[in-house]
Amino acid sequence: MKKNRLLFIAIFAAVAFAACNKDFLDTRPTNAVPDDQVFNSVDNAETALTGIWAYMYETYFTFAVPGLKSLDLTSDAMGSDVALTTSYGFRDSYTFIEMVDNTKNRVSAYWTILYKTIDNCNNFLSKIDNVPGDDAKRKLLKGQASALRGFCYLTLAEFYSFGVTTNPNGKSVPVYTEPANPSTPGKARSTVTQVYQQAIADLQAALPLLADYERDDTRKFKIDSKVTNGLLARAYLYSNQPAKAIDAAVAARNGYPLMSGDDYNKGFNDAGNVEWIWAQPQTPTQNVAASTFTFLDVSTPVSYYKSFKADPWFQGYFDSTDVRFRLFQWSTSGPGALLYKKFRFRDPGGMVSDVVLMRAAEMYLIEAEAYARTNNTTKAAEVLNVLRSARNSHLYNAAAGSSVTDTILLERRKELWGEGFSLVDIIRTGGTVVRKPFKTVNGTDSIIKVPQPDGSFVNVRGVGHRTVKLPDGSAFVKNSPYYLFAIPLSELQNNPNLNN
Amino acid sequence: MLQRLLILLLLLGPLAAFSQVRTVTGTVLSAKDKEPLPGATIVIKGTTKGVLTGPDGSFRLEVADPAATTLVISYVGMTSQEVPVSTAPITVTLQSAGKDIDEIVVIAYGTTKKSSYTGSVSQIKGAELENRQVSSVTKALQGLASGVQSASQSGQPGSDATIRIRGVGSINASADPLYVVDGVPYGGNLSAINPYDIESISVLKDAASAALYGSRGANGVIIITTKKGKVKGSNIDVRVSQGFSKRAVKDYDRMSTDQYFPMFWRALFNENLNSQDSLSAARNASRDLVGELGINPYGSAFPEPVGADGKLVAGAKPLWSDDWNKAMQRTGHRTEANVAISGATDKTRYLISGGYLDDQGIYLGSGFKRYTVRSNVDIDARKWLKVGLNLSAAHSDQQAPPSEDSRSDNYIQYGRLMGPMYPVYQRDLNTGAYLLDAKGGKIFDYGDYRPDPANPRTNLVQTSGIDKHNVLRDDVSGRFYAEATLYKGLKFKTSYNADYSNRVGHDYTNPTLGFDAEVGGTVSKANYRTFSWTFNNLLTYENTFNEKHHLNVLLGQEAYKFKYTFLSGSKSGFSVPGVDEPADAALIGSFDGYSDNYRQSSFLGRAEYDYANKYFFSTSLRRDGSSRFAPDRRWGTFWSVGASWKLTEENFLKNTSWLNLLTLRASYGGQGNDNLGTDRYYNYLPLYSVNSNLGLGGTFREYLFNDRLKWETNLNLNIGVDWSMFDNRFGGSAEFFVRKSQDLLYSRPKAPSTGYASVDENVGALKNTGIDLNLHGTPIRTKDFSWTIDLNMTHYRNKITSLPQQEIISGTKKLMVGKSIYDFYLREWAGVNPNTGEAQWKYTNPDGSIKDTTNYSKASLYYSGSSLPDLYGGLTNTFTYKNFSLSFLIVYSIGGKILDNDYTFLMGLGGAAGRAWSTEVLDAWTPTNRNTDVPQVSTVAPSWTAASTRFLYDATYARLKSLNLSYSLPKSLMERAHLNNITVYVTGENLFTLYNHKGMDPEQTVGGTTYYRYPAVKSVSAGINLSF
Repeated sequence: MKKNRLLFIAIFAAVAFAACNKDFLDTRPTNAVPDDQVFNSVDNAETALTGIWAYMYETYFTFAVPGLKSLDLTSDAMGSDVALTTSYGFRDSYTFIEMVDNTKNRVSAYWTILYKTIDNCNNFLSKIDNVPGDDAKRKLLKGQASALRGFCYLTLAEFYSFGVTTNPNGKSVPVYTEPANPSTPGKARSTVTQVYQQAIADLQAALPLLADYERDDTRKFKIDSKVTNGLLARAYLYSNQPAKAIDAAVAARNGYPLMSGDDYNKGFNDAGNVEWIWAQPQTPTQNVAASTFTFLDVSTPVSYYKSFKADPWFQGYFDSTDVRFRLFQWSTSGPGALLYKKFRFRDPGGMVSDVVLMRAAEMYLIEAEAYARTNNTTKAAEVLNVLRSARNSHLYNAAAGSSVTDTILLERRKELWGEGFSLVDIIRTGGTVVRKPFKTVNGTDSIIKVPQPDGSFVNVRGVGHRTVKLPDGSAFVKNSPYYLFAIPLSELQNNPNLNN
Repeated sequence: MLQRLLILLLLLGPLAAFSQVRTVTGTVLSAKDKEPLPGATIVIKGTTKGVLTGPDGSFRLEVADPAATTLVISYVGMTSQEVPVSTAPITVTLQSAGKDIDEIVVIAYGTTKKSSYTGSVSQIKGAELENRQVSSVTKALQGLASGVQSASQSGQPGSDATIRIRGVGSINASADPLYVVDGVPYGGNLSAINPYDIESISVLKDAASAALYGSRGANGVIIITTKKGKVKGSNIDVRVSQGFSKRAVKDYDRMSTDQYFPMFWRALFNENLNSQDSLSAARNASRDLVGELGINPYGSAFPEPVGADGKLVAGAKPLWSDDWNKAMQRTGHRTEANVAISGATDKTRYLISGGYLDDQGIYLGSGFKRYTVRSNVDIDARKWLKVGLNLSAAHSDQQAPPSEDSRSDNYIQYGRLMGPMYPVYQRDLNTGAYLLDAKGGKIFDYGDYRPDPANPRTNLVQTSGIDKHNVLRDDVSGRFYAEATLYKGLKFKTSYNADYSNRVGHDYTNPTLGFDAEVGGTVSKANYRTFSWTFNNLLTYENTFNEKHHLNVLLGQEAYKFKYTFLSGSKSGFSVPGVDEPADAALIGSFDGYSDNYRQSSFLGRAEYDYANKYFFSTSLRRDGSSRFAPDRRWGTFWSVGASWKLTEENFLKNTSWLNLLTLRASYGGQGNDNLGTDRYYNYLPLYSVNSNLGLGGTFREYLFNDRLKWETNLNLNIGVDWSMFDNRFGGSAEFFVRKSQDLLYSRPKAPSTGYASVDENVGALKNTGIDLNLHGTPIRTKDFSWTIDLNMTHYRNKITSLPQQEIISGTKKLMVGKSIYDFYLREWAGVNPNTGEAQWKYTNPDGSIKDTTNYSKASLYYSGSSLPDLYGGLTNTFTYKNFSLSFLIVYSIGGKILDNDYTFLMGLGGAAGRAWSTEVLDAWTPTNRNTDVPQVSTVAPSWTAASTRFLYDATYARLKSLNLSYSLPKSLMERAHLNNITVYVTGENLFTLYNHKGMDPEQTVGGTTYYRYPAVKSVSAGINLSF
């Protein structure tokens, strides 16, 4: 009997000690890897660039913040030409109560995306030199990381302070170039000039590194020298260095001809478009960025919020021969809204649409504006007219009286509607939002006769801008603080150095 | 039956006769409730030879001395009894000595007598649960034990309640208590436990009681013990009930069509006034009204149903009035059936049970079906060896449509928010008659014409019957132990315990109708599998020295392993309707999967000592290693000390006849918490998260790692007094507690511009201070009639005592030293401006003066009270008269606030055409109604429903949580029918609610915010309980 008991104990003691194995408490995740497995070869290190890119564009913060592409929608919602509905999404950006409110999710989302990307680039750049592997590839990856950081700083410079022409020493955002650790303190806001300088320095550093890189055009999300030049063109123009912008813009669009009128009417959903320089392609299994189309696409049934309706006054800027004019259509169901059917899902079943990040038309417009700002009106008009003729619009004639710069800025609104440049242009030029209600001269409703396929007409009471004043009830003015993005409350609370 | 027993006796009889040694077998029961008394002493009179009864109260004693004639049977707190030695099995019932209320309570790694326990524990008996109409045991805990705060935020059948014990002990790390089933931490679904199988639930609230679960007991421990076979022979118990359920409280009052149309006219009119003279503004409003809302329920006879005076045109009557909210609901049907066979033989005790529950939800497309089986067996394999195996399995099929979600297809919101003028079925717009299809059936109206806020092209009343939101769960739990007696009082127990839980979510929306028709329908399936085991080895020694020194020591080792595996995929585009699996859909949307591993290793010890049943001391020590921390930081040490003093055993009180018990208790100790969250198992490693872009592999740095992380500690002081008097008719306990959480596992905020909004660190401290009070009384106790009352109440204050920075705002709350973690921090409502009709909030100027502003974002934020109640608890009254019994439980919560976000959807000012309106909007500002709390309506009015104190309501409520009336048929009838017992009963749940803010269910989250959840359900059931 006693022996039995001892045996019993012995067996269980053995099992117990086996369970107390030293490695018992070491566990490893399956959806993450320690950094030494990333930075052990140049090929593996490349995943760190792909990964942060996917984070930027394919992360939902909310359904109304589907990654960084939604920043472009915010920019247009806060401009003059989109008459947003009250549907979920960008309605509070449109009324200027969202981006000034430092407690809003959208305010912290873009800040988070951009600075997390910056830190990932910083971390990448600090490590890549010591990673074994092919030097040519290392060079290319360094260039891409540097350009990506430049893009982030460029984006930050656009929205957090007035333009350099308004106040070159205005406080913008902090600049970090070293990777963070748990004790890294928050830094002070740099001036808008400094932030543009950082962006330009990063992009310039990238250019030689990317000189030999030939991008596979099915991978238009990758940064090559064209993309880098395009970003540089933006950075120079926005920071009031127009002379430098010209060459960069020309270099960026080299090899990317303007698309045909038919292509312009195809829904802005295909990265294969000849004019697209930079894009985030989408698939049915990767369509977070494409969900910006649930706001932009106002005509496909599958699109849910359809909130980006056009200001009816905006239609008036187009010639009726313009290929872009064909995209307007009055909605006859519900409140009469003007649809601008520029954006349409490519594959509605899969909710798929590629999203555009940069295209040749913008480069023509940068080039034209840069000439105009360097007082070369002739060249400016010439370049502008290349685009106008491609769009089958009447050509600009300086003799007609309107200023070429104003014409180009208006052409940007017409050509780039929904692509995210409205607020950028307003801030950098010290301009103002222009919105007026869609009423007749007597103040009564505008009734639109909408022709039907059978030849009859349906009367629609046209609805335009709902919000025509700033939240405090005052009129839109130049350089209104309502145009700027707030720095999120969490930054104010946790960065004592911010305003030093 | 009798014959079979006789045969058994005849077979055994000769064996006894041949033996020179007489063997006495029997059972010791308490006279009061006929429950077995484990640990009772049976001694041969005049000697020290004797045995103790086993867990089932049975004993077996060999009497070698032929001269011995009498046995003495004694038990602490009971009057000893002498019985003659006999070879026939005997049953002894012991009467209470009137000096003690000796409840056996289940505690960490064992059981104890409540009156001698140094820790704080509340026990809920199975009988208090078995009549409850709940599908998850967590929902039955409310109001039954002091210190337990329960938030049943969802009425979805099969959902769990959130439980907080003695305040909220953590900010970022989990504040949930540890659930222990049959002695071992439970890793399965709580809804897989059939409440009918539960013998008792112990709530361990202080350090002395919970510290032995040191690693995971910081937020209290809830020990669920399942039933076992007890009494010799076998007993079959059958319980069947049928019932109905409805919404517990009426939904918000909403406007009728006749109220809605003039009000929306006014919204249009007010908007028109911005650009038009009042005459054309009025005319245009009348003209545009029907177009804006998309439909004219008054028929073509009244093309402009609201005249230019803003009133309904004379004679205009709506041709239909459909209530979508009603259409989305139904009377739920509830069926429950349970059967258990339990019993014991000389060497085995067993219970086998099976249960079936069909709890149909009150909203379309929701419900919960559960099938459970359980088998609990204990075997005395050898004189020195006991083994036992508890096995349980549950399968459940839950239909859980979207609720707790701001989606427009939220089943709770959908009907509530639909304007009253939209028909559920297609109507003739001239007559209001139903349009019929070829077969004469009504046709659902998908409302193409409805404006966006009224969900055009959808009809959930129909598609709820086609779409699927199912959750299938399978749970299997095993508890195996073997216990060997090595030497007198020295025992070794080993146990291996495993919980397997598998959940499959299956969501399907059909390809032809409703929300996802445009993408051809969608399907997603997700599989969540968890498997965990706990292996422990315990050595215990118990002995009494010199009759007065009682010692109980426990030493042990434990290992815990947890593995979680996740797999999910989604597709869209069904080729044909009527099939709903991914195989039937064309387009892959996503495919994902990963697994997580978590482990713990522990060593533990406890010593309990008492002197003369008068002074009690206990101490425990435990060391835990957690895989969540770096190797050099992963071990934590947790401990407790406790003492109690039974004053009524002292000479100066021993003879006080009216006082039966007076005990003072105190304990102090520390417990740990490593639960950073279910997605944070490896925070000490410098990790790169894995993702991909268009088929290319990606990694990125998502979080900052911290290899200095260590255990969060909860220091817990408990001081209590227990008393019982007047023949134990009145008694209670009062306890004072201080729970200090330190080294909080806290995500310390960082400047997000560094790339990371936070880093996990051990910083900050919290304190919960409070009082638990339990009162028990039997005001009336006669032969036929008795009335007992149980009242419990808890008050606590939660206070932040240290933070890494001055203040942290998160959501609607702000954290600051001196404030609680659930203090609302909101814009303060300043009323409607009586002159302009605009909404106003308060703001503080830099000079400190407070002004009103109509600009919401300019308004300042202020502390606006806490969501935590001042006092909560429950009151149970039980009346028995002869064979009738009536009992009811009222739960109450006094103080605290709730921010009602659900309601704001009904409080728009006209911007969302077609969305239902609260009747409160009828009181909107007009030039003639200036003193109101609702601003002027207008289709372009600025939003005023964003979070502010305007929608902050007092959370005080009382609820008749359960009511039970039962009747047991008289014993005389039973015997004739060879039955032990028949009880018939009627029972109700949530029958009555006292609450001020109508429409909202007062049971919301601990944090006091609503989120479009499934409301609580009231139910009435009738049942019968047979035992034979």
